[in-house]
Parts: sequence; C-alpha cells; structure tokens
Amino acid sequence: MLNCSHDIEDMAMVKCGAQKQEHIRLCEIIHIPDKPPIAPHLQPTVNVLAAHVEPKHANTLIRKLNQIAPLESLRHVKRVRKIKSLTGGQCQLSVILCAALEDDDQFDEMPKGVKELIDSFQLSTFVTNVSKYAATTKEEWEEQCKLWPSSYHPPTYNIDGITGFSKDDSLSVLGFMTQAITLAKSCNQQMVNAAVIVDPSVNHVIATACDQVRPMNDPSIMSNTGSHLPKHSNVKIQPNAFESHVCSLGEPKHLTDGVGCLHPWKWAQEQFDTYSGDWHPLRHAAIAAIEQAAARDRLLFPTNFHSRESFIKDDMISLPIGSPSKKQKIDLEKVYDEDDEDSNGVDSHSDSARPYLCTGYDIYLVWEPCAMCAMALVHQRIKRIFYAFPNPCDGALGSVHRLQGEKSLNHHYAAFRVILAENEQH
Amino acid sequence: MNMEKVGIDAGQSSDTIAFMNLAFLQAKLALDSLEVPVGCVIVENGKVISNGRNRTTETRNAIRHAEMEAIDALLDQWKKNGLSPTEVAVKFSNCSLYVTCEPCIMCASALSYLGIREVYYGCSNDKFGGCGSILSLHMIRPGSSSRNQEAKKGFKCTGGVMASEAVSLLRMFYEQGNPNAPKPHRKPLQHMQTVDK
Repeated sequence: MLNCSHDIEDMAMVKCGAQKQEHIRLCEIIHIPDKPPIAPHLQPTVNVLAAHVEPKHANTLIRKLNQIAPLESLRHVKRVRKIKSLTGGQCQLSVILCAALEDDDQFDEMPKGVKELIDSFQLSTFVTNVSKYAATTKEEWEEQCKLWPSSYHPPTYNIDGITGFSKDDSLSVLGFMTQAITLAKSCNQQMVNAAVIVDPSVNHVIATACDQVRPMNDPSIMSNTGSHLPKHSNVKIQPNAFESHVCSLGEPKHLTDGVGCLHPWKWAQEQFDTYSGDWHPLRHAAIAAIEQAAARDRLLFPTNFHSRESFIKDDMISLPIGSPSKKQKIDLEKVYDEDDEDSNGVDSHSDSARPYLCTGYDIYLVWEPCAMCAMALVHQRIKRIFYAFPNPCDGALGSVHRLQGEKSLNHHYAAFRVILAENEQH
Repeated sequence: MNMEKVGIDAGQSSDTIAFMNLAFLQAKLALDSLEVPVGCVIVENGKVISNGRNRTTETRNAIRHAEMEAIDALLDQWKKNGLSPTEVAVKFSNCSLYVTCEPCIMCASALSYLGIREVYYGCSNDKFGGCGSILSLHMIRPGSSSRNQEAKKGFKCTGGVMASEAVSLLRMFYEQGNPNAPKPHRKPLQHMQTVDK
C-alpha cells in the first residue's frame, strides 16, 4: 500500500524562523541517517522471474506464490505490478514468481510448485530487475518504482526529532547550539570545539566544556553545573570572523587549527609559549563534558554505604553466553531494593532522579565529533547529538565513520546537523 | 582485516607473555572492585612505566577504560616533569600497550592520536573493537591530512595474546559475579535466574 507518500514531505527536516535581531534568521535541523545516502538511481538491484497474468487469476496466483515462494529478502517489493494499457483497454498485471538466477537455468532452480503454476496457468515468464534494498528516502522510493513497484515506510524511530521537530523544540535546539558556539568562541584567541550536555526533559544544562588540548583560559572550568537555558531572546550572536568563516565553504584552515576533533593528531606539533596551563592531547570538548557530567553525578548522588552502583558492564565485550547482563542488572536492583531500607533523607535528589550515565541527555557540539569522542558518547549513552559543522578529517557521524549506524554497538544515538544561516546583510 | 593475527606465535615471546601477565593483574584488580575485568600496562624500552584498569562503575564515567587510566597517569607524570607536547609525542612513539582485551573504537582512536608504537591485546572485542573487529583504526595510513601537515598515525597491532585467559576472566565477571565482593555482592547468575522465576 502506498499509504505513506503524503506525510514524508520535510521528513527529518525542520525549518524554523528565529527572530531577526539575533543575526541567525533561519536554522535547519537535518537528521544524519544510519546509512550513507546512495544516489537514488544507483541503488543495487536483483533479478526476479516474473510473468504476465490474467487479472482473474491474480488473487489465486498471489496466494499460492506467497506460500510456495515467499520473497523473504525482498519484502519491500510488491508482488504485483499493474501497468495501464496504452490502448486504454484493460490493465496489464504482472507478478513476481521467484528470485531469478543470473544464468539460464531458471527452471532447474526455481522453487517446487512455481513450475507447476507456470504450466497450469500457461504463464509466459520474463526476467526483470527490482531494487535489492528497501528505500530509505522518498527519492529512493520513487526511483525504485520505475523498475517495479515497492513499498516505502518512513523511519518511525522513537527518538524525538528524527521525524521532525516542533517549533518549540527547534528553538530550544537553536538556543543550545548558540550557547555551544558562544562557548567555542570565548575560550581563547583560537577557535576550539565546545560541548553542552543538556537534559532535554527539563531543558537543563548538565555540563559545558571546551577543548582542553592546549593550555588556555577555559571559561567552562568556572561554569556551574546547574544553569538553565538562557532565555532565547537573551542569546546574542555577534557576527564576526568566526561565523563568516566557518559558515562558508572556503574557510581559512588556520582558524580551526585548534579544534581537537578536526585535528586530533596535531597536538604533537604544538609549541606552547608556556606549559603552565593544563593541556591534554585527548581532552576534547565532548570528553571534558562527559567528565564533568560524571563529576556532577558523583556530587549530587553520592554513593552511600549500600552501594547502589549500576554496573557499567556491557560496554566492554560480548561473550557467547547469551546476554545475561540486562537480566542481571534488573535483578540486581531488585535485590538492592529489598535490602536497602534506609532512604537518604538528607539528599533532596531522589534516586529515581539519578541519571544512569548520560541516558536521555543531548549533547551540542560545534563540530562533528571525531571517532574517539563519538564512541565516548556511545559509551556514556547520549541520546542525541547535534553538531553545527561537519568534520571531514575524522568525523564519525557520517563524514569518515558512521557510528550511529554500527549495528554491533550496544547503544545508538540519533545524530543531527544544525545548519545556522546567517543574516545575509552581515 | 585480521592480518595482524597471523603473527601471533612470533609475537608471543616470553616478554610479551610477561607483560600481558602484568596486564592481567590489573584486570583482576578491576574484577575485585566489581568492574569489568580489563587491565593494561604501558611499556617503554622494556620497562613497565604505567598501568591501568577499568574504572567505569566507580567513576560513573563509561570512558574510564583501562587504557585511558594508564594514559592519563603517564601524561600527568610527564607534564609534571615539564615535558612539552612534542617531547610527549616522542615518548608515546616508543611505547607499547599490553591490554587484556582489544581496545574499543574510542581507545583505538585515542592510541592512534597519541601515536603509540604498538599494541598487544588478548581477546577480541566483537561489539566495540577498534583494532579490526568493528573498525580498523590502527591501520590508518600515515600521511598528510589534506592541506595540513598533521600526520595521521596508525600502530602495529597483535591480537590473541592469552585470549582464552581474557575470555575466562570476563566470563567470571558476567556469569558468576565476584566471590570476593563484600556484601551485598552480586549473586551468581543461576541463583538470579531462579529468583527471576
């Protein structure tokens, strides 16, 4: 059924108008999919054996074919094709009988029963090709239907935003991204990456950090761990060299030399004037922000005598013993709930509010994270990543690697690019 | 992709085994602390100069893998000694890491950024491995990245050193809980399954 062609317009993309005085007039939030996009007309195809059938036989044939030759690996392909006759007469119906081989020995290899159908209905068969994989976009789907009709189901993830953002959500995304950009510019004479971890359920900033690869005056060190999102109208973006350069394609490279994720190997060539400040080749903004979020967790929810630690156990390894870890975790909590009778009356933060790592949190990064940071965000169970600028050197959300699509990982976040458009007059 | 594993026998000299045994001591410390039992040592010129073990539960920071612990201890020391980034980079280029389990994608990237010379690991990491299992970050070709002179760095990698020991240790953690743990400790899986019913 083509039941979804009408509501896929602007899927995974939202345009939101922001107030003009903020110098950012428009932003787009684009979902970065799990698989790299393929040009719609270059989708792989496979051969199938098909036959023209009489309309009156169609139902019977399809029922029988679905039993004797189900199209297991081609569920997205429709069994029947209907072509309107050019002479204005009856429609011509064709059905797929079974998968076809490349050589001519079709009749030896076809499933038992298919040949009987061909004989008894006196079908004239032909080989045609259909798309091998289900369409992931409307464009792919339209292209597929030129070969043979297929079905298309727009993604129905349960991570907010993949199927679009409301206006309020878009403004909130824009606000936090603006905060990250402001932070990235404020850290020193050189541009760095910046990270803002947010609990989106309450629009609460959990942690903020800049790259600390080089010794520098990092304002994020003084940042508090409980600030709320600044009112959107208070966010001021001054158009300056930063934005005009990073927004244009021909950005001068030296301006972004200090961005850890863009140049993760570059620290080794650094000649600092002073080594008094702290520096760390791996302290990219996301890593520093995760550290801060963990420190906040330890501070707000100190471990009491009966340790209620959740075990971060399935992050390391897979073992061929089924997956007892999840069960273990649940049972463990059960055991503790029974044993642990003293509730912590002093701490206003209830255990139910205690986060498990960064589950449910979003992170805003100015640049697409490198492989190290992107994997760190998998480990820490971030829910959504928003970044403003792609990272052609080592970006791991689509540019070089695509961790959100690595099926073997035990956690998958959704990745979005926030495209900030400048006011043309600046 | 697993070409590096061809050289396992050659790589398993007595030194390799000795260093890996030290990594296992670290892994057992992790197990005793109810952490996923992975441990490592970093070796420079035949001497162990740092060690680390997984601390993700204790720190509530899932990136505190054994490798990160050992790297940070080294960096602290070298910075204290006043080494410049360039000097630190030269140091790392003479270091080998022995870790009981294949470095994950995050740690393999980090080791590449640091420019470590080589890595020996125990069992492979089918879910998260960054040295051949999921990605092959150690095989990054040295060379210039576009217009910058920044050289990307890979590292030599040998897997399968005492792999079965590494798997048994992990199995001990996942299946049986820790018999040495103070009360309330994690109950053995069998018991929990009966509780579940």
